[in-house]
Amino acid sequence: MRETRTLIVDDSSVMRKIVERSLRQAGLDPLVVHEAGSGTEGLEVLKKQSVDLILSDINMPSMDGLEFLRQIRAQNLAPGVPVVMITTESSEEHVKQAILSGAQGYIRKPFTAEQVKERVLPLLSAA
Amino acid sequence: MLLNGVRTAALARSQRGGSNETECAMTVSMRESVQLVSDPRNLDSSVEEVFHLMLGVDCTRDNCSTVQEDESVTAVVGFGGVLSGACVFRSGAHAAMRIAAQMTGMEFASVDDTVKDAIGEIGNMLAGAWKGKVPNLAANCGLSVPAVITGRDYNLHVQAPEFQLHHVYRFGDAFFEVTIVCDGLQ
Repeated sequence: MRETRTLIVDDSSVMRKIVERSLRQAGLDPLVVHEAGSGTEGLEVLKKQSVDLILSDINMPSMDGLEFLRQIRAQNLAPGVPVVMITTESSEEHVKQAILSGAQGYIRKPFTAEQVKERVLPLLSAA
Repeated sequence: MLLNGVRTAALARSQRGGSNETECAMTVSMRESVQLVSDPRNLDSSVEEVFHLMLGVDCTRDNCSTVQEDESVTAVVGFGGVLSGACVFRSGAHAAMRIAAQMTGMEFASVDDTVKDAIGEIGNMLAGAWKGKVPNLAANCGLSVPAVITGRDYNLHVQAPEFQLHHVYRFGDAFFEVTIVCDGLQ
């Protein structure tokens, strides 16, 4: 079975670990995880690594998740790779902004592994 | 000073997406819905939701008025936009380490960077869950990134808040308190 190469972008190392654990619980195994603490770091990872899935927080210092998304598209990094936003912001306006910026999925914190599975697996199957 | 900083950051975030027309309409409705915004049940359900989903533990509200431990850990997340203020999580070192252990599956002997990170995220999720209970607030109030303060013998003072909610909770033998301070409501 081919490994799923994933980029997790969150300024909290604890949240990155929780997201990784949720992905494994969702059945994504083998899983290769690249981590980034900001959108800027995330872009640097994408310039060097190919990934199958990107999960990103929105509310981050230096470069937030929405700008990170716009930069991915503007620089044509990771074309066709699904991006899922994981964030505490949950209003329709925030979801709309994320989708307009290029996200395919949206998970609100706090979340369960089951919710991660429901949002992420269909995107990977489609990609 | 700290609160001013986090509020400024939260306000900047809230202003990125909103139009003047929307903000004008919200000016009326938020003031009118102060009873809904300050409903203490919203805070209780937010705490229950965050701790149940992220830590797998059930919290209960406790009658004590404040958490009393020498060393404490505080996370402050500012609100900006139609509501300005902050969500403040505070616990003793013991509870902070218990929470971080529950989140990460690791054991902690001191309040290290991972514990502070975990508590900051708890503050962030509590603030997001709380404002998410009121749709107009969810859409028109931004959150700052969390600021975490550790140490002994300090207090947080806010002058003449619009309203304030302050609840103490426990899970097992660990206590923590969550305060919502609103010092401006448009």
